[in-house]
Amino acid sequence: MTQQAARKIKVSFSQAFGLLAPYIKDRVIGQIKSVWLIILYLVFFQTVILGIRIADASIIAIGIVLVVAGLTFFMEGLFLGLMPLGELVGVKLPQKSILPVILCFALVLGFLATLAEPAIQILQVAGRAVNPWEAPLLFLLLSKYSHILVYSVGAGVGIAVAFGMIRFHYNWSLKPFIYILVGGLLSLTIWAFFDQNMLTITGLAWDCGAVTTGPVTVPLILALGIGICRMVGSAESGTMGFGVVTLASLFPILTVLLLGAFLLGSVPEPMKEVDFFKKKNRRTTETLFDNKEGMVRYVLFNASIESQIAYFGGSKERMIQYLEELSENESKRTAVFGDDPDALKRWAIAHGTEEQRYSVFGSLDAVQKAVSRYSTSLKKAVDVPNLLVRNSIVAVKAIGLLTLPLFLVLFLLLREKLPRTDEILAGLLFTILGMGIFSIGIELGLDKLGNQVGSALPSSFKTIQLLDEKRNIINFDPDLVESAISPEGEKLYFFYARIGSDYVPIPYDEKSFDPVTKQYRCTPTKGPLFGSEGSFGGIAVVLLFAFVMGYGATLAEPALNALGLTVEELTVGTFRKSLLMQAVAVGVGVGIALGVAKIVWDIPLVWLLAPPYLLLIPITKLSTEEFVNIGWDSAGVTTGPITVPLVLAMGLGIGSQVGVVEGFGILAIASVCPILSVLAVGLRVNRKRKAALTEVVQTAKEETLLDGI
Amino acid sequence: MEFKKRVSRITAFVNRNISKEILDSLKEVGVIDLHLAAARSPVIEERKGIFALLPGRDLVDDPLDIISFLVARKVGDPVLNLIIEKGRLNLPGRGSVYSEEINLVMAHELCQENKPAPFATKKIPFQELTGVCCIVQRGQGDSVARVALDTGICVPSLHFGVGTGVRDKMGLLRITIPAEKEVINIATSPYDAEVIMEMMIEVGKLDQPGKGFIYLYPLEQGIINMKVTRGEHRHAASIEQVVAAIDHIRGGAEWRRKSSTVEKTGEKSRDYLTGLVDLTLLCDGGTGTDLVGVAMSAGAAGATIARLKHVRPPDSPLSEVSPAREACSMIVTDNQVGGILNALEEAGAFTDSCHGQIQLRRVPKAFTYLGK
Repeated sequence: MTQQAARKIKVSFSQAFGLLAPYIKDRVIGQIKSVWLIILYLVFFQTVILGIRIADASIIAIGIVLVVAGLTFFMEGLFLGLMPLGELVGVKLPQKSILPVILCFALVLGFLATLAEPAIQILQVAGRAVNPWEAPLLFLLLSKYSHILVYSVGAGVGIAVAFGMIRFHYNWSLKPFIYILVGGLLSLTIWAFFDQNMLTITGLAWDCGAVTTGPVTVPLILALGIGICRMVGSAESGTMGFGVVTLASLFPILTVLLLGAFLLGSVPEPMKEVDFFKKKNRRTTETLFDNKEGMVRYVLFNASIESQIAYFGGSKERMIQYLEELSENESKRTAVFGDDPDALKRWAIAHGTEEQRYSVFGSLDAVQKAVSRYSTSLKKAVDVPNLLVRNSIVAVKAIGLLTLPLFLVLFLLLREKLPRTDEILAGLLFTILGMGIFSIGIELGLDKLGNQVGSALPSSFKTIQLLDEKRNIINFDPDLVESAISPEGEKLYFFYARIGSDYVPIPYDEKSFDPVTKQYRCTPTKGPLFGSEGSFGGIAVVLLFAFVMGYGATLAEPALNALGLTVEELTVGTFRKSLLMQAVAVGVGVGIALGVAKIVWDIPLVWLLAPPYLLLIPITKLSTEEFVNIGWDSAGVTTGPITVPLVLAMGLGIGSQVGVVEGFGILAIASVCPILSVLAVGLRVNRKRKAALTEVVQTAKEETLLDGI
Repeated sequence: MEFKKRVSRITAFVNRNISKEILDSLKEVGVIDLHLAAARSPVIEERKGIFALLPGRDLVDDPLDIISFLVARKVGDPVLNLIIEKGRLNLPGRGSVYSEEINLVMAHELCQENKPAPFATKKIPFQELTGVCCIVQRGQGDSVARVALDTGICVPSLHFGVGTGVRDKMGLLRITIPAEKEVINIATSPYDAEVIMEMMIEVGKLDQPGKGFIYLYPLEQGIINMKVTRGEHRHAASIEQVVAAIDHIRGGAEWRRKSSTVEKTGEKSRDYLTGLVDLTLLCDGGTGTDLVGVAMSAGAAGATIARLKHVRPPDSPLSEVSPAREACSMIVTDNQVGGILNALEEAGAFTDSCHGQIQLRRVPKAFTYLGK
């Protein structure tokens, strides 16, 4: 080897450029090919179909460039560093270690994977409209016990990876695992359907399964499994290293449902909002919050004024008294509002009633001044340093936490040296860099775009308020209001405002005018664009949008791209990446459309989850082991960093317009449909192959029969 | 562990759905030590109606198993017959199988040829054959393989490999050169082999740098799958059936030699490489890269490493070792062989840590870009 190093080829600068240029070009083009559809589609839909200008277009454009650049680095890093590292450990582990050690390693790795790529923030976003009186258990899991939720998901993933390793070791089929797990999960879900508290967390539990497996975990676990499978098992066995992702999507559902069942006894039943805050229920309701002050804070920020009064024993005076106390007593204030000295005042302006504001500020004059001061600084600039630091931490944490145990095992337990060190380290660096850039890009570009389209989307079937274009007009004078008349003789009021460089007529609504502060809050409205309010045509547009969005976003998903390439590699090209991607993307599209239907018509989740999973059991039985492993695994990888924020933005946009409590469940449905589509494709391909093979035998048999005559 | 022994190497390319049957029947007659590799075989799918107008790939891939093993010379023919009979490979569309004579130069004592007791089989007429092997960058395989399909010669087999060579002598910049290769194997009558090789060089642009490598290797005999199309046919028999029937009557494929009919495009005089040797090292999974490095410092220009699985009975002394194996194929000149073998032996290629085995076969004609 040393001899070889001595004979290293010297590459001149121009030669290096000649090598690098096509290399970089190919990879960038590859990523552009994977994201162009979803981006152009979102832009097209917002500007042409919905007819709304894209806000912050320049920032979004920068974000999209960053997404492409980040994805390029990330994917290249996966193939150079992370996956070879995982495969190496997979190859060496069974040779130099015993099963119990491998299982411990698997448990730790699975657990760390969950901590490294925390899906919990995503779920908290999905559940931000969840309130403690309608869904106490769900509220508890998402706020006070969110860390326990993460640990239970982590335990689920750990158990799953360990079972995956046992399975490879003994060459077991994936099918029995699927039957048992799906059967168990469906029974639990149906049981949960009849308990008001458990019902609320089924969506969360199934979504946990869908989001746990992120873009770093999936390739790593795949590579590890492939490495192990190459070394163990007999030559004839069909296992190739897939299937762990499936288990890692199913086990967390189980652990979260069990956690819910365990906590069930300690939470109150769902009740009316006002009852929830009454003193007689205080003993059970207070357990949902960190402490007494936590509950006060929640009451002030999130509850209606009636509930706030109910919390203070039904007496408005006591509430006002309490607020006055807060504004005077600093230690009490920090206990409730935190360290920011202005937090109470800001709350009063944003959430308080007039009386509450008065009690905080002391005089009407101070209130007026404060209002104009706090409400003019609405627009926020992009905080670049914060953005950089936050996303770098995310990237380093995700990759560091996952590769650290691998390195430890490799150096300490297996006592192996790292082959091609420079390549693997460069790969890991690319992954971290890529993930950082990519997350910034998502935040600046895709998230923003998704949120804009998502919140405007319901305008296709109902009237919505465009909160993005909400304005506070200060010093509003009611004398400006003019009147007009409709053909039906109804008298209407409006006024002119100068927005940008145009004079725009705006309908006048008395309720939006605050005579004390002389402010007019104006929120432009839009829709319904297709047909009348709530018409099927408009909803159909939304469903179609959801389908195409799911399809496009899936094609851009990095974990699925990695899975597709791995499948193509291991099947020697007989199962092409493009076929897998198309099948999965169509499945996700259908799933997301169904998920939107769930929100629009408020269909119980179990009705949408049970039938496809029940249908999957016979289909799984009919399919070959190869397709079962690939099909079920693709379900786990579909919901990644591109799909999830878009789906949530859309789900929440529609949910808030039609008044649905939580946006859970769409991701779970989007995970089950691709299994169906991939297995269906698999059955068709296999049938054709078998037919081609038996066709010649059939004709030959007929020939020999004729020969006999 | 040196010995020079002539043995028969049998290679069968069969549809994965029938490989189990063949493996079982081989086990019965005493062929217990063999290697399995995954491959695919593309065939042209004839599209009907408006689908025919759509652009896109009109090839469909079948999963293929490459079963290869060594047997003593005298049982070569019966084993070949057995595979054809059990796999019904005489029917077009089910697979190919052939035998060749190779030199088993060096090997770990447990990695020897199979020595089944002689047995009798039905006699099936074989064809005379020559093999063509072409190694190109991953993704370019389809176009080269199509040559065999378009000329109706045979159904090619493609598998993946990893190439080493110039790449490994570079610094980190090597990541810009993909190591992944596709290996295309076809077998055809000796009369056609050179024409096909010429056409593959054209299609694969192998006369340009970094495109790939192609070589011929002599085979003894066998039967090849000629069903290159799939789909409904409008005649009483498919063309493959007709050809197979005439081959049967004529007792060979000489009547349909292509050399006279295929137009030789451009007829360039190429600098072919002649008198080379294909030195294939079979070793335990994970050890191939290092051993190839050793061979390269002893003079080999590069290697293509492909992954195999070792099939052996559960009571074999090897069953404790992982079934993962690697086949490292190196094309070298005659006088390099000795040095490479010594270097490999010194590196421990034939000890218990690698279980190496070296097979040599003649490469009468090869071609690649050699620089200006």
